[in-house]
Amino acid sequence: MTLLTNLFPEVMFNINDGYLEGLTRGFKAGILTRTDYLNLVQCESIDDLKLHLQSTDYGNFLANEPSPVQVAVIDEKLKEKMVQEFRHIRNQAVEPLSTFLDYVTYSYMIDNIVLLITGSLHGRPIGELIAKCHPLGSFEQMEALNIASTTAELYNAVIVDTPLAPFFADCISEQDLDEMNIEIIRNKLYKAYLESFYDFCKNLGGTTQEVMCEILAFEADRRCFTITINSFGTELTKDDRLNLYPTCGKLFPYGIVGLTRASDYDQVRMVAESFSEYKKIFDDIGNQGQGGEKTLEDKFFEYEVKLNVNGFMQQFHYGVFYSLFKLKEQECRNIVWIAECVAQRHRAKIDNYIPIF
Amino acid sequence: MGSLFRSQEMALCQVFLQSEAAYCCTAELGELGVAQFRDLNRDVNAFQRKFVNEIRRCDDIERILRFLEKQCQKEKVPILRLGENPLTPSPRELADLETTLEKLELEMKEFNTNYEALQRNNMDLLELKHVLRKAQTIFDTGEMGAIQDSASHAELMNSLTSRCGPVASGSPPREASISFMAGTILASKVQAFERLIWRISRGTILVRCSDIETLLQDPHTGEDVRKSIFFAFYQGEQLKSRVKKVCDAFRATVFPCPDQPQDIREMSIQIMTRIEDLKTLLGHTQQHRQQVLTASAKNVDSWTVKVRKIKAVYSLMNCFNIDTTQRCFIGEAWCPTQDLERIRMALLRGSEAAECSVPSFITPLKTNDTPPTYHKTNKFTSGFQAIVDTYGVATYREVNPAPFTVITFPFLFGVMFGDAGHGLVMTMMASVLLWKEKVISKQKDMGEIASTIFGGRYIIFLMGLFSIYTGLIYNDVFSRSLNIFGSRWSAQRSVYNLSEDAANNDTTFVFPTFQLDPTNTSSDYIYDNGPYPFGLDPAWQLATNKINFSNSYKMKMSVILGVIHMLFGICLSTFNHTYFKKKINLICEFVPQVIFLSCMFGYLVVLLFYKWIVFTADKSGCTPGLLIGLINMFLLKHQENPVNKDGTECTIYSFYPHQSTVETILVVVAVLCFPWMLFGKPLYNRWHTKRAHYSEVHNIDEATTTESSTDDGHAGDGFMDVMIYQGIHTIEFCLGVVSNTASYLRLWALSLAHTQLSEVIWSMALARGFAFNSILGVPVLFCIFSFWAIGSLCILILMEGMSAFLHALRLHWVEFQNKFYGGNGYPFEPFDLRQIHEGVMPEPA
Repeated sequence: MTLLTNLFPEVMFNINDGYLEGLTRGFKAGILTRTDYLNLVQCESIDDLKLHLQSTDYGNFLANEPSPVQVAVIDEKLKEKMVQEFRHIRNQAVEPLSTFLDYVTYSYMIDNIVLLITGSLHGRPIGELIAKCHPLGSFEQMEALNIASTTAELYNAVIVDTPLAPFFADCISEQDLDEMNIEIIRNKLYKAYLESFYDFCKNLGGTTQEVMCEILAFEADRRCFTITINSFGTELTKDDRLNLYPTCGKLFPYGIVGLTRASDYDQVRMVAESFSEYKKIFDDIGNQGQGGEKTLEDKFFEYEVKLNVNGFMQQFHYGVFYSLFKLKEQECRNIVWIAECVAQRHRAKIDNYIPIF
Repeated sequence: MGSLFRSQEMALCQVFLQSEAAYCCTAELGELGVAQFRDLNRDVNAFQRKFVNEIRRCDDIERILRFLEKQCQKEKVPILRLGENPLTPSPRELADLETTLEKLELEMKEFNTNYEALQRNNMDLLELKHVLRKAQTIFDTGEMGAIQDSASHAELMNSLTSRCGPVASGSPPREASISFMAGTILASKVQAFERLIWRISRGTILVRCSDIETLLQDPHTGEDVRKSIFFAFYQGEQLKSRVKKVCDAFRATVFPCPDQPQDIREMSIQIMTRIEDLKTLLGHTQQHRQQVLTASAKNVDSWTVKVRKIKAVYSLMNCFNIDTTQRCFIGEAWCPTQDLERIRMALLRGSEAAECSVPSFITPLKTNDTPPTYHKTNKFTSGFQAIVDTYGVATYREVNPAPFTVITFPFLFGVMFGDAGHGLVMTMMASVLLWKEKVISKQKDMGEIASTIFGGRYIIFLMGLFSIYTGLIYNDVFSRSLNIFGSRWSAQRSVYNLSEDAANNDTTFVFPTFQLDPTNTSSDYIYDNGPYPFGLDPAWQLATNKINFSNSYKMKMSVILGVIHMLFGICLSTFNHTYFKKKINLICEFVPQVIFLSCMFGYLVVLLFYKWIVFTADKSGCTPGLLIGLINMFLLKHQENPVNKDGTECTIYSFYPHQSTVETILVVVAVLCFPWMLFGKPLYNRWHTKRAHYSEVHNIDEATTTESSTDDGHAGDGFMDVMIYQGIHTIEFCLGVVSNTASYLRLWALSLAHTQLSEVIWSMALARGFAFNSILGVPVLFCIFSFWAIGSLCILILMEGMSAFLHALRLHWVEFQNKFYGGNGYPFEPFDLRQIHEGVMPEPA
């Protein structure tokens, strides 16, 4: 029996996770298609948008909102629906899928923490900030974050109780919480998180490892690129930068060394040249010329969507859960983007959404 | 039956509606419910259609109605559901409804905010009351002193153990007075709260928590919440700000609490009076709210129906084309030709209602599209039609098996479920459903199983009646036999003596076993007086050879019923062939099929009757076997009958003289039918198309007329396609004749199983109860009866009934309907506004 499960882990997959995988694939079928987007783009007003969304899997999710619907409300409801689906799956999951799903929420937690600290640094009221947090990454002690004024305090008082505590261990050395340090904390947290998630998936083995490591490696590399490009013209030294790069990507180790040395965009591009996937992305940007529509960020999003869609090509692995919620998140961004464009009558850039299927 | 035999004749019609009268006319048509509209704007988005704004308004009204319903549920105001069906309101009424409801919603929302504010106030006061009470106990019991001690102790420990903490370094001198902060917090958050306080202060802030026993109502959601009171004791301003931050983070309510006992007492009294005041105010508000809600609860249901109707009408109007002059709408619909006049009347009424001088009208169109299939059913036939439709909706205007199913279905069920007692129970259950029909049919949401049973109530009723009938023929009532006419078997004395002896000895009573044999005059039972008038002689019930007898009887009966049923199915196909003018099918399919079936199994049925009539019990030693006979017939093997010792012929192999010749001819004819079926139609088609082609070349005028006549089925396909198609059908039919006949043996098998099962339940349960001779038997029988009754009901009637139902269903779908039924149609789904109050939303096709 054990031999069988070791040789073919897929054999036993359905016992614990088969139902949830089926559910996930069902949810995936509800993701908007290209024709849906084409219809959405034609909308004249938010009400049209609402009417069209009614005919999709979103159904009556806006039916109980009085008629002039705000974009913020749409955003909130979209997130609510996604979180509902996530919670439904999470509540029925057993180990190791439950831990896997928890890992998915950690990235939202990191974003929330950084948002709250930055916000309270600028003296915003906590209630207003909480409303902006992603509901998937909310945790009990979240609102108490503004008590702390140094990282050590932050860790000792609040973070220590959250699942993020092990990732935070590296950041404690920083003294005051200023803008720069927060950004460093964010990147260090992400680095620790990605590496930990990567190891976790690697330990799971099988198809999960195959699919997830690819996605997470890209995630890591994207962070490396973004950190490098954003650090130009700031007081971040090259050595500091090295500490922020996640080491689980394809860039590690040689690409990272190259990025550490880079001091302008072209040098970053040079580094990307030696990696076929990234070469293509950077080439596409270059080919568009100066007035190109798509930014590097959009290109990265597109590539991410592609990876996540590929995750659905295989069966019996956890990648589908991760991919579904990443795709859903992208879909939320798309709908909100279109809604914003419609609401502000700014049709020129309405096509800049990233289609999924 | 005339209307059920074939589906209604349908016509594709164009409806021209004047734009002023369009709404009224559509509504009238919807109330009539006889037209299936086609969506003419299939490629237009939902939000780009003409009446999108009206639909949006309806959506908004529906939203308000849902809101009202929710409010009613929250206040536990019952919503009246009379199930009434108001007529489709005019567009003007939509505006009225809109304003009424918007006003109501505004009013309701205002109420809610006021009420919520009051409740929040109330909750705060209640919490404060609890806090003050707790504070009093703390001061009264002298706990304060203990806290002071422990606080200073913690301070000391802290300053000794850690020097780096910001708390220790910034702490005020020890003598400073201890102040405290009091408030309430959600009980579920207490632990995290205490932990965080401890973390940020390293124990220099002391927290005391206690639950509030009574549940409080959350003013926003109206749910019950459990809250806790906390007291945080600290020294100095810096710690105070920290506690404050933590309180904010956990959304705790902080109350100003005086620190002198007499102040607390004063404040408590104040609070109590304020709570009393607020209570009366809350009561008044609540009462008013209730009144408004009760008033609207009466109307919510009819409003909902009205709005849905309006929405349905506008959704349908979105499917219409608008002509170039913008003066009228054009819709396309399938209508039964019978109802065209009613539709015209409806259009007239609609135009009148809209006071439109230009009439709206309807004209039939010519089309090549297949019309939908529409059977006009009533409450009796609808169940049977549903059985047929589940298999496949009839092709347009083809013979509908439903009218025959009305009788054959319950009959075949009865053959398998032959027990008059169980049939009676089933009939009675169905009768209750029929009797309470009106009451039950008004009920909504019966659940899937209940509504299926209710929908099939007439089927169940007939099934019960037929079970009683066959049960009487089998002479089975709860597995016992009724001796109505007096058995034709007479018992000899010896049997009575035996049983009397056994009874007198008072040992366990064993009834003697015996076999019934009409030829044996020396046995215990003697047959005389001719046959039993109706059904099976009850004497068989006691005989050990009952099963042998009934098996032979039921097996033969199944084959006879099966062959008749299938022959009937084949005969029905003639109606299709003649109606669709396919003479070739009549000659090359129907005729060989009938011959094939009659030569093989028709002949078997004849032999069955022959054997029943000719061979009496005296000749039982020399009866030919039917099965062996049938096999030998196909193997063309013939054996001569041997001669008895007394010189007469023992007919053990053949029934009648020249049997071998007759059988050989039958087999040859049956075999010849095969190529007839296989090649007849394809060759004819080939010849036909060639001739058409020939005449086309020679006479172009003629070609146009013949072309239309070649348009039957597969004429246009290649010869090979037709060949393959015909081959499949022929093989299917020939194999089917054998396998389907065998399939009808399930009639015997299920009937046997049913009899045996009820026999077992009788002997295992109720017979045990009868075995007691003393008074003890009464309570025992009383208990055992319930076992028997429940077993009979659950296993025999429900479970066995279900299985017999499914087998009857199969016999109809497969064995009967595949002889003639195409089932390639699609159902007629008219736009019907009358269904809306039953919760069905019509969708334009």
